[in-house]
Amino acid sequence: MNGDRAPAASLPFEGRTDRSRRARLLVVLAAAAAALTICGLVVGSQGWSWSAWVSDLAGDQAGLIVGQIRLPRTLGAMLVGGLLGLGGAIAQGLLRNPLADPYLLGSAAGAALAVVVVLAAASSGADWVGSTTAAWLGQLGLVMAAFVGALGGVLLTLALARGAQHTLRLLLAGVVVGVLMGALGDLVTTVAPDALRGKQAFVLGSTGFLGWGSVGLMAFGLAVALPVAVRYARCLDALTLGEDSAASLGLDLPRVRLLLVALLALATGLAVSQAGLVAFVGLVAPHLVKRYAPAPHGYTLVASAATGAVLLLAADVLARGLVAPQELPVGVLTAVLGGGYLLWLLNRRALG
Amino acid sequence: MTRRAWLACLCAALATGAAAQAEVVVRDDRGVEQRFDTPPRRIVSLLPSATESVCALGACARLVGVDRYSNHPAGVLSLPRLGGLDDAQVERIVALGPDLVLAAKSARVSDRLEALGLRLVMLESDSHADVRRSLQLLAKVLGVPQEAERVWARIQRQIDDAAARVPAELRGSRVYFEVSSSPHAAGASSFIGETLARLGLVNIAPSAMGPFPKLNPEFVVRSRPEIVIASQRELQSMAGRPGWQALLDATLRRCAFPTEHYDLLVRPGPRMGEAALALADCLVHPRAP
Amino acid sequence: MSTLSAHELMFGYGPRQVLDRVSCALDPGWTAIVGPNGAGKSTLLRLLAGLLRPQQGTARLDGEAVLALAARERARRIAWLAQQGEATGELDARETVQLGRLAHHGLFAAPTAVDDAAVDAAMQATECSAWQYRRLGELSGGERQRVLLARVLATEARVLLLDEPTTHLDPPHQVAVARLMRRLASTHTVVSVLHDLPLALLADRVLILRDGRMCWQGRSDDPSTHAALVDAFDGAIRIEQFGGRAQVVPDVSGPA
Repeated sequence: MNGDRAPAASLPFEGRTDRSRRARLLVVLAAAAAALTICGLVVGSQGWSWSAWVSDLAGDQAGLIVGQIRLPRTLGAMLVGGLLGLGGAIAQGLLRNPLADPYLLGSAAGAALAVVVVLAAASSGADWVGSTTAAWLGQLGLVMAAFVGALGGVLLTLALARGAQHTLRLLLAGVVVGVLMGALGDLVTTVAPDALRGKQAFVLGSTGFLGWGSVGLMAFGLAVALPVAVRYARCLDALTLGEDSAASLGLDLPRVRLLLVALLALATGLAVSQAGLVAFVGLVAPHLVKRYAPAPHGYTLVASAATGAVLLLAADVLARGLVAPQELPVGVLTAVLGGGYLLWLLNRRALG
Repeated sequence: MTRRAWLACLCAALATGAAAQAEVVVRDDRGVEQRFDTPPRRIVSLLPSATESVCALGACARLVGVDRYSNHPAGVLSLPRLGGLDDAQVERIVALGPDLVLAAKSARVSDRLEALGLRLVMLESDSHADVRRSLQLLAKVLGVPQEAERVWARIQRQIDDAAARVPAELRGSRVYFEVSSSPHAAGASSFIGETLARLGLVNIAPSAMGPFPKLNPEFVVRSRPEIVIASQRELQSMAGRPGWQALLDATLRRCAFPTEHYDLLVRPGPRMGEAALALADCLVHPRAP
Repeated sequence: MSTLSAHELMFGYGPRQVLDRVSCALDPGWTAIVGPNGAGKSTLLRLLAGLLRPQQGTARLDGEAVLALAARERARRIAWLAQQGEATGELDARETVQLGRLAHHGLFAAPTAVDDAAVDAAMQATECSAWQYRRLGELSGGERQRVLLARVLATEARVLLLDEPTTHLDPPHQVAVARLMRRLASTHTVVSVLHDLPLALLADRVLILRDGRMCWQGRSDDPSTHAALVDAFDGAIRIEQFGGRAQVVPDVSGPA
């Protein structure tokens, strides 16, 4: 940051920030979402076949296939992506780090551990768990376990960091919790190896079984988390000036940070409990928004949620369509799509 | 006896002696040749199906250590358990002084063990033919080549029995065998698929998809399988999957196997015949729990 | 106009005592805080701004303890500018300056016409209206500093605490900032930590910190102040009269 050196070309486009980009991005995202929703309804286990779509509609299983399976899966993929995009934007703003993702504060590690524990308790090698505990854990189900685990992981991080006082401490605590819980999870899978397969499936992430129940739950969660986060978005804006500067503006930083961490935990926990640990969406979505249309966080949070939704839906449609009737893991496609685009942007920056 | 007769006897004796000490040369599933002067007497098995095969061939007493997943026959449970394929306890294995280690083709530990001077035979069993070949290989190494065919014949008999037991109205039904909840199915080209085919069932996942394809759940619903086979826990959670309640309601048979019996079904070894019988049992009784 | 004062402030981390019983009065006008590296200048500024809690002693604004004020009221009366380099650059210049109004309209209310007028005035005072829609990250160091200064002005606080506002700026920009502080001194209490001694002598008063202790405070045109400065920097500088003004000159003579 010396004197008057040439301005950093940190965007691929030179010149003024164009505020109209913000509106444009939202329009593009809405159009993409609409188009992908149609794709999501058409693409099924028969791939991209228009004739198959027509015969599906005419068939006697139409209500089941389209109404019970494809439509909720499509909407569900968008909601998972939306929750992860929102979580990623909060994480990046809160931790003031463009490489942050919503899994950083222990939510992913906690969810994975909880899933492994439930799977292990239900498996045959579960002598170390009492039968009543095992029965209760079985009732809990994987979805509930993942959600509780995610929240638990974040709570542990907060406890270790002694509240949301300092960003660096929060980040470090999150890393420690992640490593610890990961190690515990590995220990459990060593003792109860039957849990390993289920754990791997969870870690890879899947949109395959999203039904109307999941859709309702996630819609509710997003409807709560997004407006509240947007309401407090200016705090994230103030944080871009630096922690002390933000404090000097009269903000009750610890309390607001705690609230934002809670929203992050809620959004991530919901997404992770329904779809597993889908990689990359939470990291890439806010990054893409900031690169194309930098803006205050009130906009970035909403746009990140929308971008995440579109990204995951695109990945889901491709996962179903490319090798139909088989499926690719959706996490692989989010990495390819999101990572590929990011690489391209970075490349342009290097040349421009 | 004449001198010529003595010479003939001597030659014969020498020849027999030489034959008894003849080298056994086998090529394992990764293509490596192993030569055995004498049948191995101390065997470590890191593959549950290999453990079962060794015991089925009558050489159970020669096992000195098994992996943590080997649980059949009951006798092996008292043997030292040496970890899995990814975390095999190298020190303990070496300390047992085995003259043969059996492992899967993809084992990471193999390089280490071979570097330490142990002799490794790697087996991979994806299909019935593979199982037969593994049995023959093991029998040859163990010095009991005729046992392989005996065990194989028994397996075939059991499968034929099982096929005979399948109710006539179920023959030709579509079957879905779930291997994991992703969902991964056992396709027609897997060993499970071959068994199901022998029982007269039609797999919804044809051979073209490979042995264990990861399916779009919609495909399973659309295929309307009449028979669904899965572990007990998976079957319980299946009804919660979107659109699957209708699938389950329309089935003729639902076979839920608790974990211990599920092992039996998914292990490509000498108990494949028993697996077939277990499947047939389930098909005979409507709505098995 | 407000008076900021420090009373026996003590602050330290572990065994290291950063500030040791520092007391001073910062009257309206422009005070420059100078001293060798590690003297505790930034820490003093933070304590005065209420960003740190002293181990002993108090910082007071017009007699009231700074930390006893409600956060928002404190933000309306004292504005603090961080050292350069902390701000990440997603907002554009105008949005950055608008952050200064947070103390007035709070987190939730929308900015009013009053807020917009204050932002415009602040940007005019620092002459950065021309690029108000450019991203902060795109601006050069000097331009960015002006925007951040505008943010401070937009708070309409009477006390401005500026931590090294001219470091990393080239001479034209340093002069521009110094001129601005000179202008503001007639209506505000401006306290700036400065490494640039020539600029420090443009202030009304100079406060010298060394090793956590205040060793001098006095008017900048007072010869005793000049002597104290030379002393504080161990004779590495000389102060000479040039063109009717005191000038600071590095002294390269003397033992190597």
